[in-house]
Amino acid sequence: MSMTSGPPILDVTDLRKTYRLGRVDVPVLKGVDLAVREGEWVAVLGASGSGKSTMLHLIGGLDRPDRSRDGPASSIRYRGRDLAGMSKGDLDAYRSGDVGFVFQFYHLLPELTVLENVVVGSMIRHGRLGYMRARAGVRERAGQILSAFGLGDRLRHRPAELSGGERQRVAIARALINQPRLLLADEPTGNLDRETGAAILGALVDQCRQMGLTMIMVTHDQGIAESADRIVHLFDGRVVERRHAEAEGESRAATA
Amino acid sequence: MYQALLTRKYLTSKIMPLLAMVAVTLSVATVLITWSVMGGFLKTLISGGRTMIGDVALAWPNVGFAHYEDLIDRLEADPQILAAAPVIETFGLVTLPSGRVEDVAIKGIEPESFDAVTGFMSTIWWKPLDEPVLKDTQRIDPRLIEEDRAVLGRIERQGRELRRADPQTGRPEIAALIGIELTGLNRRQQSGVYLPMQPLRATSSGAVTYDSVFMALNGAIRITVPGFDTQGQVIDFSTERFPVANEFQTGVYEIDSKTVLVPLSALQELLHMDEAKRVARSDPFEEFDGGPGPEVVGIDPARVTTVLVRAVDGVDVDAVKAICDRVYADFSRAHEGEVPLPLDMRPRSWEDLNATLIGAVKKETGLVLFIFGVISFTTVFLVLAIFWSMVSEKTRDIGVLRALGASTLGVAWLWLRYGAAIGLVGAVAGVFVGWLIVTNINPIHDWLGADLGPGLSRAASAVLGWFGAGPVTIDLTIWDPRVYYFVEIPREVEPGKAAVVFVVGILTCLLGALIPATRAARMDPVRALRFE
Repeated sequence: MSMTSGPPILDVTDLRKTYRLGRVDVPVLKGVDLAVREGEWVAVLGASGSGKSTMLHLIGGLDRPDRSRDGPASSIRYRGRDLAGMSKGDLDAYRSGDVGFVFQFYHLLPELTVLENVVVGSMIRHGRLGYMRARAGVRERAGQILSAFGLGDRLRHRPAELSGGERQRVAIARALINQPRLLLADEPTGNLDRETGAAILGALVDQCRQMGLTMIMVTHDQGIAESADRIVHLFDGRVVERRHAEAEGESRAATA
Repeated sequence: MYQALLTRKYLTSKIMPLLAMVAVTLSVATVLITWSVMGGFLKTLISGGRTMIGDVALAWPNVGFAHYEDLIDRLEADPQILAAAPVIETFGLVTLPSGRVEDVAIKGIEPESFDAVTGFMSTIWWKPLDEPVLKDTQRIDPRLIEEDRAVLGRIERQGRELRRADPQTGRPEIAALIGIELTGLNRRQQSGVYLPMQPLRATSSGAVTYDSVFMALNGAIRITVPGFDTQGQVIDFSTERFPVANEFQTGVYEIDSKTVLVPLSALQELLHMDEAKRVARSDPFEEFDGGPGPEVVGIDPARVTTVLVRAVDGVDVDAVKAICDRVYADFSRAHEGEVPLPLDMRPRSWEDLNATLIGAVKKETGLVLFIFGVISFTTVFLVLAIFWSMVSEKTRDIGVLRALGASTLGVAWLWLRYGAAIGLVGAVAGVFVGWLIVTNINPIHDWLGADLGPGLSRAASAVLGWFGAGPVTIDLTIWDPRVYYFVEIPREVEPGKAAVVFVVGILTCLLGALIPATRAARMDPVRALRFE
């Protein structure tokens, strides 16, 4: 994927998150700093419980970081706007318009058809009247994405009638339907066999390249991570290692 | 938009919402049936009474009051009063062809004026019919018989005129109009049609014979009434035979089984309430000795106990009472000392006269509705439990929707909308089922009493017979006209009531969905996504 050299699309500073389990506070993220440039593909590696998914949820506006008592506050800035300063409505709009989520277990809505699962994100984004106006275009676009994923003839099928790989393709199409700028993928191939996972990853990367998306992908798979522009290791709630240093990443960009 | 899509999908792919719909349907139908029947009961009670007294009655019982023609003229001069009629209301005994003696209400009426106030002529039963009544699908009604049209026409006229020609001499006689349930000789069929029966008599030899009697043709009754003087003292008891001119049916069992109408003049004479000469005290033998007889010193005018008043359509009963109060005050001043004082003569409606009964029915209606309302309220908790379970089942979907940008209000609306949709479908079905049952409640009730009850009795007796127990009787007849006043269960669904029950049915579902919807909206999306 290509990287631009402008200001980062996402700038995470001192990100902290603590969960309360019973009477015990369990800090998951202890001060993560991360800057992601437009069009960059960042792979996040780390052991189970290291806070990878938590970080994705915080960046995606699904959760709020800890409030700082003494030191500097956690900050997630997307295109210069701090998510902490956004209202609930702004965060909803951010999630529906700027961010696309892809989950390990697909999370398709079982009662909806393939096509409906894809356009439901657009329904949420546009609202009733907006969707009625954009309906034809949205359905056409959903058809195009699904056809690109080889699902053009499965539009009226239910998720239960699809294989795991097909379901994940539908989930990716759903994440892309609103043309987001930032794709957050939480182990998108983790539930698939290697061959299918590779095919899904290929399709995902192709789409992201075509659309110029920025992608942060959580993975356990070192091989997949190697394909990313940059790898970030999370250990004990902190970023402890960065491979594909910025210079290296830039040199990649230059050859891209 | 996504809420509409998901609501439609959830409605068509889940069993649980069907259970909630059934609950709403049953509760809506139950309340509608209860309200319709009890409300109809009350309405029929009030309107049935109107057939007997019009809007308002001015009454001075037993003794009666004079100059009633003047009062009627004064009342009818008011533009808001349609008509007024003189009536004598008293009580007495009636001896039936079977020899049975019944206590009854006896009314002396002038047919034309009484009809103008009460419309009683429409209640005359024996008359030629062109079309069968609604439920008489087998056309068993004897009033439809073509060959009897002329006779039925004559009988109808008899009822209108309260006169009947003597079968032997052909001379017209003063006759009575009696309630159709009075004699017990008219057997009511399930269709509401009456078939005349013959009165049976046991003979001294133990055999049973019957008289060939059809009351309106050759039947007669004997009426015994107490006569009062102007001071309210019982003077004597008078008995007179009245041929029966026809029979009437108001639909109110209490009236149809306990009322006899006779011509006003005949009852005045019988009760000594007709015009009489007032004479001075004199030697009782003077007249026999060829003298001029006692000196007439005045006239006691004829009296009636009641003047019935009918207002122009749309005039409120209270307004009619006010008019009657004013007119009677003027009338009382004009006949000072001869008629009761205005303070004693309060105009009263049918509802006033039957305040205890009607009040009890109103209270009973309210109570039954309250009880069924409380029972139906359990639907709220049923919907709540079903929705709570569904929200739990759909936790991850809620997380997905939030991840896709759905707002908390949007998620809440999804579940409220879903509740409203279930309520809407359930309430529509409930109103339909309620309407279907109410409009067919009499055949259903007849079937319960005539077929299902005996069938269950036979089955239960057979089962119990294996264990050596005796036969049992299961009687599913609920509506006994002798208890409930009416010969038929009221079967009218008022659109207003249906609309109220319909809306409440939907609100019930919304109320049940409210807490689960709030729970769904407040769900932490991260936890929801991790839910397994």
